[in-house]
Amino acid sequence: MADKVDVSVVLTTNNTSEALLRQNRGIVESLEGAGFSYEVIQVSENGRAGNSDTESHLRQSFKESAALKRGVKKAKGDIIAYIIGRVNIDTAGLNVLVEKVKAGSDMVVGYRTPRMDSKLNQFVSRAFNGLTRMLTGLKLHDLNSGVIVARREVYKKLPMYGDLDKFIPILAFRNGYQVTEEKVAQMPGTYRQSFYIKDFINRMLDIITVIFLVKYSKKPLHLMGLFGLILAAAGMGISFYLFIYRITGMGGIAGRPLLLLGVLLLLIGIQMISIGLLGEMIIFTHARDIEEYDIEEIIE
Amino acid sequence: MYNEEDSVPILCDRITDSMLGLTASYEVLFVDDGSTDNTVGCLKSRNEKDPRLKIVRFRSNCGQSAAMAAGFKHAQGKFIISMDGDLQNDPKDIKAMIDMLDEDCDMVCGWRKQRKDKLILRKIPSKIANYLIRTITRVNIHDTGCSLRAYKSEVIKRIALYGEMHRFIPALAKMEGARIREVEVEHHSRQHGKSKYTIARTVKVLMDMTTLSLFIRYVHNPLKYFGGMGLLFLFSGFAVSVIYLLSLFYGMMTVEEQNMIIMLILLFVASGVQYIIYGLLAEIVSSTSKYILTRR
Repeated sequence: MADKVDVSVVLTTNNTSEALLRQNRGIVESLEGAGFSYEVIQVSENGRAGNSDTESHLRQSFKESAALKRGVKKAKGDIIAYIIGRVNIDTAGLNVLVEKVKAGSDMVVGYRTPRMDSKLNQFVSRAFNGLTRMLTGLKLHDLNSGVIVARREVYKKLPMYGDLDKFIPILAFRNGYQVTEEKVAQMPGTYRQSFYIKDFINRMLDIITVIFLVKYSKKPLHLMGLFGLILAAAGMGISFYLFIYRITGMGGIAGRPLLLLGVLLLLIGIQMISIGLLGEMIIFTHARDIEEYDIEEIIE
Repeated sequence: MYNEEDSVPILCDRITDSMLGLTASYEVLFVDDGSTDNTVGCLKSRNEKDPRLKIVRFRSNCGQSAAMAAGFKHAQGKFIISMDGDLQNDPKDIKAMIDMLDEDCDMVCGWRKQRKDKLILRKIPSKIANYLIRTITRVNIHDTGCSLRAYKSEVIKRIALYGEMHRFIPALAKMEGARIREVEVEHHSRQHGKSKYTIARTVKVLMDMTTLSLFIRYVHNPLKYFGGMGLLFLFSGFAVSVIYLLSLFYGMMTVEEQNMIIMLILLFVASGVQYIIYGLLAEIVSSTSKYILTRR
């Protein structure tokens, strides 16, 4: 096929035309300079990427996982570079990442350095990445740099829905692919200096997602059952103590806050165990569709 | 069919020897669970000499359940044997197992009557575990932990293995209506590597086991379990309420006693309502599952 290319660049964007142009120029220069054949696939929410009147869409939630899926489907190259436009990465160094994949890595993730955005952003990002490192064992500095270069089949293997695209490196790592990182520069320009409570809450939820995805998605009872058991046991203990206290005539218990606490713990405990059981049931009854392994080769 | 280091040559020889007496054709499937040593290299050189030895190679370490699931999925035989690659099982027991399969039974489990493990560290925990598994899952075999087993292909291919489910294959097979028998097998002491038992793991296995025993009885109609529990709580709540009302009517209770009893009613009623709601939710899960629908 004549239209086969080395690298497909999937660029999801909500950006203004100026930044987009600059990113595009970076891609062209770096890939052409390194002698790769390439294509650039721009996926935007409304199909009007580059219009200067898309300013109003900047804040809208943009399902990047869907965009990536569409891009990967269209891509013709064996190596796919996934770039999230909104992160404002300087694409001039893209060829280094591509070459690393060529050399045998399954996935190379960008690592923004030096950081140009606000100190607060950097701190939050660092804390998030540190926590994920600890939880997943994947030693990367920057999960949200917005640049991922990997072989096509790696993308195809990963589940992609909702906000899961944020965790592509982790998912790839858990699937047994070799994930490495490479420094990339941030584009000079203005960065949002504000920090919203909403962002913070989203980050927290992301961390919970990571924990759950990595450790407990196939065995919810191990997490919830354990918490449930601990809470229920505490509730039982308190209730039992109060029971003894009451029947040995040491005094009334109805007015004591401890009784309320005991009942509360029991209720929450029962609830958690039940929900854990329900989760197990969902997994069990859909177990036929689960494949927990990734076959590298079959030798007959 | 598991990953291991320098056991490969011995294992291959033993299997080939044990198969000599068999008239049937066979294949051997090695599942390499992401070994970091040269296991695959050894296997490949064997595969060149004997094409009946096949290899399924995982990209990374995925655990025993996944390895067994992959093996069962890619096995083509009418009868399927599973065994560990650590040389503790002896392939020469396979013949007797297959002979038993021909009769009226779907699965034959190995029973390591003479275990060659260190007494306290492995034997006793495994005795207790077996007793618990036997009573909780109601599968009447002595040794549920022995991975040397023989299955009819249509039985084992219906079982979905994930997480740590490989521990419960006999119970899962019984859920599918398999007739299970057992046979005594040889057991060698472990030569390479180590295995560990921890308290945390024991708790997890216990949780898994309890879950499974509930599933065995209730997965087709979960409302029977959740709803049963819910009604029990609601009824208790109701009974306590009646007592409360009666004693209130006759004026036998102090305010303190009344407060106490109301807390009890609250606990019972709240738990009861919750259970029933979960039961309904579980019914939805169960009724939308392909797996359940095909056998309801």
